[in-house]
Amino acid sequence: MAKLSLMFENKIVKEVPVGGRPIGIGRSPDNDLPVDNLAVSNYHARVYFEGGRLVVEDLDSLNGTFVNDLRVERATLHDGDSIHIGKHRIKVDATGDAPVPWDTGRKAAAPRINETMVLDTKARRDMLQQAAAMGERTQFAGGRLKVPTLIVLNGKTDQKEYALTNKLTVIGKSTMATVRLKGWFKPQMAAQINQRDDGFYIGPGDQVPAVNGSPIPGPTRLKDGDVIEVGGVRLNFIFRE
Amino acid sequence: MQIASGGVSDVGRVRTNNEDCFRIVAPLQLFVLSDGMGGEAHGEVASAMAVETVTKHCLEGRENHAVPLFGEVQASLSDEAKRLASAVHLANKRIFEAAEGHLEQRGMGATLTAAWIDGTKLSIAHVGDSRAYLLRSGTLQQLTSDHSLVAEQVRRGIITAAEAEESQMQSVLIRALGAQPEVEVDVEEHTLFVRDILILCSDGLTRMVTEPEIAGTLQAETNPTKAAEKLVALANEYGGADNVTVIVIRLEPGSRKWFSWLRRGVRSKAASNGSGGGKLDG
Repeated sequence: MAKLSLMFENKIVKEVPVGGRPIGIGRSPDNDLPVDNLAVSNYHARVYFEGGRLVVEDLDSLNGTFVNDLRVERATLHDGDSIHIGKHRIKVDATGDAPVPWDTGRKAAAPRINETMVLDTKARRDMLQQAAAMGERTQFAGGRLKVPTLIVLNGKTDQKEYALTNKLTVIGKSTMATVRLKGWFKPQMAAQINQRDDGFYIGPGDQVPAVNGSPIPGPTRLKDGDVIEVGGVRLNFIFRE
Repeated sequence: MQIASGGVSDVGRVRTNNEDCFRIVAPLQLFVLSDGMGGEAHGEVASAMAVETVTKHCLEGRENHAVPLFGEVQASLSDEAKRLASAVHLANKRIFEAAEGHLEQRGMGATLTAAWIDGTKLSIAHVGDSRAYLLRSGTLQQLTSDHSLVAEQVRRGIITAAEAEESQMQSVLIRALGAQPEVEVDVEEHTLFVRDILILCSDGLTRMVTEPEIAGTLQAETNPTKAAEKLVALANEYGGADNVTVIVIRLEPGSRKWFSWLRRGVRSKAASNGSGGGKLDG
């Protein structure tokens, strides 16, 4: 059975098993794990099983709940994780038998869904929040949307800068190109930029563009600040706040 | 520019019924693909309804411009893109109402990816996790965003694209037709170039076959129907876990251009030289 050990200065203060009922953590003595410290809220957090996974949830505490030094509202716990509350640490021991077998890693623990299903708006928001709490890379957490932009450094084009709003941006002389090159002998479609889920990829057109001085070997993901050279123009790719 | 197209839909190797549906309306150069969901036979009902509604609304709009547009449609779009968006809104309403009206059809829904080509202008309307790709200059470009939970997590930087491919939550959609009374429809317009190859496909293809394999198959097989058949065969060879549907659309140089006589002349000369009649413009 999974177990939580309340530690203070590397000494075990109290141990509780986690079963079917949520384990309350807080300053109030009626908690399962009472923590006597002014930095701890009366009802600070709780730990419980959900869908076979052990989950910690912060109960809107004043000073926050941390899992392995990352502040969380909700997070899935794994064997060996540390929950920090105030100056206390709670060690997670999940090696024993859990109520539902779950000891097969994060992915395998996720429910297997074969049939396609659709989330409604609320469920989608909840799931994304939950995923964000579990996830390690939360650049989006800041919430500020950045606009991917091409700034013309040298060369003749119809505008000085372009916001990349479409899935596909064409750089070329074509009247239908997004970034229109001006002048004689310019390629109709010099290069193209494809917006994918994980970023913007530049690919060849009639020419092979160079990114930061090197010709690209194939579709290449653009990083903030990259300089693109193609069809006699130099473009700076940036994420504008 | 000439357009050659072909499509294939297959039940796959695991499922017993095909919930995918597609239609090619050649006179309009309209291509519609839908992947249905919902227990029993209701996924088939939903996808058929989606394809039927979209096709019919576009045909009616083409016949009579006075047919009103349905739902929220961006004013800046072309007539075709507006009509396509309107058609997808209408399909959503029809499926939603059908699902509400028949208790046993509750929970049915469908994806919808449609392309309408007018000259060199391509309009795409999209909801769900079917996809449109454009193969151009040897690069496969994805023209649609999956409305799935994992794709949304990738866009928000919560998981990586590689983790998304491994995820067991791939079938969870955040947008589909029939789930809500209103739906947000992605609509985009693009300009097509000669020798572009456009494909529409259900997730039964993209979950089984990698993008380089898709690109390779499209480059190797110039007959659109045969290319679609080969892609379906590949998905089945790799397990065919889901229904798989592929529409291939090739934009070929028109033969009526003023220089066509020149090309023909060079071609016949090349052929008579025994070089196999290779394409001058290849």
